[in-house]
Amino acid sequence: MRVELPDGSVRTVDADGIPVEEVLVLLGVNPVEVIVTRNGSLVPEDAVAAGDDEIRLVRISHGG
Amino acid sequence: MYLQRATGRHLCAGHLAEEVEGRVRETMAADGMPPGGSRVAVALSGGKDSTVLLSLLHGITQESGGLDLVAITVDEGIAGYREETLRAATATAARFGVPHRTGSFADLFGGTLDRVVEGQEHRACSLCGILRRKALTILARDEGADCIATGHNLDDEAQSVLMNWLRGDRDRLLRDPLQPGQRGFLPRFKPLREIPEKEVALYGVIASLFSPMPECPYRHTALRGEARAMLNAMEQRFPGTLERVVQGQRTLARGAAGGIPAPLGACARCGDPASDHLCQACRLLEGGSFRPVRHR
Repeated sequence: MRVELPDGSVRTVDADGIPVEEVLVLLGVNPVEVIVTRNGSLVPEDAVAAGDDEIRLVRISHGG
Repeated sequence: MYLQRATGRHLCAGHLAEEVEGRVRETMAADGMPPGGSRVAVALSGGKDSTVLLSLLHGITQESGGLDLVAITVDEGIAGYREETLRAATATAARFGVPHRTGSFADLFGGTLDRVVEGQEHRACSLCGILRRKALTILARDEGADCIATGHNLDDEAQSVLMNWLRGDRDRLLRDPLQPGQRGFLPRFKPLREIPEKEVALYGVIASLFSPMPECPYRHTALRGEARAMLNAMEQRFPGTLERVVQGQRTLARGAAGGIPAPLGACARCGDPASDHLCQACRLLEGGSFRPVRHR
């Protein structure tokens, strides 16, 4: 699956049918700190991501 | 759409929005704030928390009337970051038809944050916080406000508690943050203090309140960033940690027998709350980096 990280970089994760949280952990991202969209829709981190999904992560904290 | 980790519940967009709005109303009722007819200065940075705060207060005012809102924004002078959020603040205030007042560190104190932190970037967030608080008080008083509402969320509150522990700041740890303000000081309210940051952000996305914002360039220099990372790691593994940290501090402050810090006094120079003879801002300004705070 294609994963866009909060900094705009893109990673490809070779996995299918795993919870979004596991994808985030693989990439070193804490699910508490991001909003996740799957194919453009907001999803909770226990949603399951398929191999052809596009995941986008948006960091929620921007201040000091 | 959202997994509320602390309760294990899944919420759709509508129920999350309802829950956030309900908890904000409960917080406002519990804090006795602000009475009808009050002029409320809403600290509007243009970021997600303050944007959501203004939206919620505007909605509550529309429903029940009684609050006279004015948005106040502080331009700290952070090149490459603040311009965009200032535009967002102006647009947000206009969207809700709320009068908007902006004041800058340069105008109020004689210099930008970028200038004052040269060579001491690691202190940027600390210095900025002190001066921003002072600037908000000045602007709110200029606007004739009865109180200031800020967008601090549950995560901010938990981070502050941990930072006070890390600094060994006994006085702040034992001061009840919910105690009513002392006479003569502008009361400050935090209607979002019970709402996790992620829920604030999701509420803003659901309500189409904002688009992604840039990160403050000083963000990575702050102790707060370390506290945030530590707490979020704990929150991931032990959901509900943030709330327990905040509640624990309040319990500690209320239950401490003896050794409770004296109430804040008044700054000898500007009259604002101070734990010493001068408030933190006036001590900082006395160092010569800025002009003194104007008297009023």
